[in-house]
Amino acid sequence: MKTYEVFLKRPGKDPFTHVGALEAPDDELALSFARDCYARRSEGEQMWVVARSELLVADSVELEMADRSHRHNDGALLRDLRKAGDSPAS
Amino acid sequence: MSDVNRPDPSDARQVVLALADDELCVGQNLAWWIAVGPFLEEDLALTSISQDELGHARALYGLLGDDIDALAYGRQPHEYRSAHLTELPCRDWGETLVRHFLYDTAESIRWQAFADSSWEALGAVARRALAEERSHLRHASGLLSRLLRTESGCSQLLPLFDQFAPMACELFDVPSGCSSDDLVAGGVMSSPLGDQRAEWQATVDEALAQVGYQPKWPDHKELGSPASGRDGQRSPHFATLHAEMVEVLTIDPSAVW
Repeated sequence: MKTYEVFLKRPGKDPFTHVGALEAPDDELALSFARDCYARRSEGEQMWVVARSELLVADSVELEMADRSHRHNDGALLRDLRKAGDSPAS
Repeated sequence: MSDVNRPDPSDARQVVLALADDELCVGQNLAWWIAVGPFLEEDLALTSISQDELGHARALYGLLGDDIDALAYGRQPHEYRSAHLTELPCRDWGETLVRHFLYDTAESIRWQAFADSSWEALGAVARRALAEERSHLRHASGLLSRLLRTESGCSQLLPLFDQFAPMACELFDVPSGCSSDDLVAGGVMSSPLGDQRAEWQATVDEALAQVGYQPKWPDHKELGSPASGRDGQRSPHFATLHAEMVEVLTIDPSAVW
């Protein structure tokens, strides 16, 4: 049995979303099982099924969960600075 | 003159009732596999197919009357028209697979013959069912052809074809008094059941040719025996199956779901 990953796309602008995995003996049966396991209630109008062995997997060292708060900018600091600069009272 | 070839509407209803009863029995039997399939994906696949078959039964009963539950559950055993193949419990997974392959192959051919029916509502049900049949057949054929590439698959599955294929011929029988030719003449069906059965047998033969096997088909003159499920004779498995179907209704006849 091989492991496959299943992706579904709903109608409209939604992108393909990973919905889960399954095991199947071959590609044809993987497609068949994917329909019954993940799309039997019409959850999507398009489906991708890919063997997990075919996925390109990134090196997890490069994704290390270090402190990257400096990359999260919600604009609040800039907004406050601008507000202070624009105010006639300052 | 044109009236001569017009099918008796009750013939068409009888044929639809038989098809609906087949779907009901197969759907109910497949539902048994919930949580006990040989692997999780197969468990879900069989029960998803079960729901499709029950959906077909519901749509067909809906063509015959408004009270679908009464039609599906409220009749006496001799009033059902199911083929005996569909009543088999098939608690062995190999049995379920072989029945599934024989049944869904037959069903696809039968639906195809109704797809352009002069009974428009029946045509619409058939076209919708055909879309679902494609995935049922992919499931059945995919598993079957893969297992027939193994020795143990062949030794376990091929004898089941000899057991079930002759029974499955009944799927193409009509209740006595109904004329398949009249239904074709009236446009209800596009081809007579004899032709549909021949097409089905050829499909089954082709699937088994990969392992050089041919099931033992009966001589068709023997068909339509008095024990036919199409004429109201129930197989010994029906009583248990029916009791299971109506269990909730028996406890609470006013139950709603």
